[in-house]
Amino acid sequence: MPGCEAKTSDGDNDDDNTWHDNNSTLSNSGSSLHRLSARRRPRFANVRASDMGLMDEKQIEEFTKEKFPKYRPEELAHLGKIYSPEQMAALEAGEAAIDPRDLTVQGRLRADPYRMPYIDDFAETQPVIDKRARNKAPPDPHARFMNLDEFAQDLIDWSDKLPQGEVTGSLKRLEDFVPEAYRARPETQWPTEVREDARKKFQRYMEGEVTKQQKALNAKGSDALSDIGSGPTDADILQYILERSVMTDANRQTDSSLAPALPNKVPGVAGLYKTVIDPEDQGKDDLGVYQDVKRRTGMTVREILNLRDKQLLVRDVSNQTRLGKVRSCSVIHVVGNGDGWLGYGEAKATETQLAFRKARINALLNLRPIRRYENRTIYGSITAKVSATIVKMEARPPGFGLRVPYRIFEMCRAAGIHDLSASMPRARNPMNSIKAAYWALCNQPDPEEMAMARGKKLVDARKVYYGGAVY
Amino acid sequence: MGIHSVTNAAIHLQNAARARIGLTSIPNTKYNLRLALAMHRAGLLASVTRGGPKPPPPEAILSGDDGEEVTSANVATRRIWLGLKYWNNEPVFKTVQPVSKPKRLVTATLDDLQKITRGFKAGMVRGLTLGETLFLSTDRGVLEAREAVARKVGGLLLCRVS
Repeated sequence: MPGCEAKTSDGDNDDDNTWHDNNSTLSNSGSSLHRLSARRRPRFANVRASDMGLMDEKQIEEFTKEKFPKYRPEELAHLGKIYSPEQMAALEAGEAAIDPRDLTVQGRLRADPYRMPYIDDFAETQPVIDKRARNKAPPDPHARFMNLDEFAQDLIDWSDKLPQGEVTGSLKRLEDFVPEAYRARPETQWPTEVREDARKKFQRYMEGEVTKQQKALNAKGSDALSDIGSGPTDADILQYILERSVMTDANRQTDSSLAPALPNKVPGVAGLYKTVIDPEDQGKDDLGVYQDVKRRTGMTVREILNLRDKQLLVRDVSNQTRLGKVRSCSVIHVVGNGDGWLGYGEAKATETQLAFRKARINALLNLRPIRRYENRTIYGSITAKVSATIVKMEARPPGFGLRVPYRIFEMCRAAGIHDLSASMPRARNPMNSIKAAYWALCNQPDPEEMAMARGKKLVDARKVYYGGAVY
Repeated sequence: MGIHSVTNAAIHLQNAARARIGLTSIPNTKYNLRLALAMHRAGLLASVTRGGPKPPPPEAILSGDDGEEVTSANVATRRIWLGLKYWNNEPVFKTVQPVSKPKRLVTATLDDLQKITRGFKAGMVRGLTLGETLFLSTDRGVLEAREAVARKVGGLLLCRVS
């Protein structure tokens, strides 16, 4: 808004005036200090800066021009090549913000203990202090692995650039010392005298060659070794193995440490790791999580997914090793069909989600029938003890409900038990209470077995009275 | 009449069953014999045989009598030999709990017994649970709780076996 602007500019002007006033006051007071009594005058008079010409505006200007010159057009053009336009704008803004005169008058080399340990114009990178410069071009996005022909061509290109020495083919071979008639045949078919003669000649020839090369070496000195030496050195080969690109990117050097990804279809591997989706699953298990459970239990995926499951306990546990604590997640899971089957699964993994899945699958594999009296409660009363935890369960009449601790409640719900009372008179450790409850449900007394053991006839009175219509 | 000998006999049977022993003996007293016969009727014991210090031969176990007459000369050496039962690798006579102790005798009236056999608490005595038996001494001899209810008698509670 114009009004605001006017006000601000007024304020600025006020400030400027004040600054000038202060300045004048200071200079006045300086002059008054100079006129002190003789008694206060120092014995060794200091030389004033203005007397030394240091406060001479002309000299300051000269010094500034010499030490802090402005960028020349060619320098700016060169910087424009290195930096983006935005960076150049920032650079120019920075240049404009600092008055070179201030650098001359106020600029000091720091001598305090907290100064930076180096004076730098940031022209060079210092590996410990500075981030690594990344000046190279990005990797070629269209590069692919070389095929056999390209690879061979690349190898030839590489070897062509190496200094050429004695080529292996130029030396004479053993075959060159036998008569024309035998040259085509292999060595074993030569007559003995011909072979021995050829070997003698070949050996004499090789000795001659060696002495010839030795002489050449001595004549040229050790610098000539690379000229005579044939082919690449070990360092060349190492460099080829480690640094030569195997992609069709003409050995382009980049700053990226990302290795190129494998292609979508790697020949020889493509199609081998495909999960077979069973159409019977109706698309409910495309990831194949339940395929093993399906095979081992004979249940369909729909049945598996329809089971009631509950995660009863999650604990963070850690294994203390010499490298530190290795944390993992321990999970207890129960699964039931709500109609007399209950499974208990315990699993541990460093990944929480993996532990959940493992525990659930273990519970599925552990599914077992739970005896139920009239499909609603347990038989008699059971006491189970795990460590200091005792779980007491008692059968209860219809309509009693589940008056039990909540973990046992979930187990009963999964197993399809509707009337039960349970108590834990001693310790109530979560893990032990689950284990004890599961043991109790799986180890109920069997009245028929008891009757057989005692040789008695057993009749359930509830099924005799009221025509058995008691439920 | 003291009940410590029957309590001891019952506890001995529990120990023998836990050691998976097939044939064991208890002192030959009338009280022990009545308890043993009551347990036999309840199906907890395989056999009850009166014999000497050595185990009776198998045929004597079957007949329940080793043929030797009890006289005043040999009565002190007589013992009651009891066969223990096992089913599915588990003893049939698994646990025993004395109800009365020599220091405190516990009795139950017919009303109490009717409650107890139905599984309800009567006084200090817990109700019977699935598979439990309670033996009591009545004027009709040692009976199981349900027998006593059938005969409408109460008595001195000896031990509960399950």
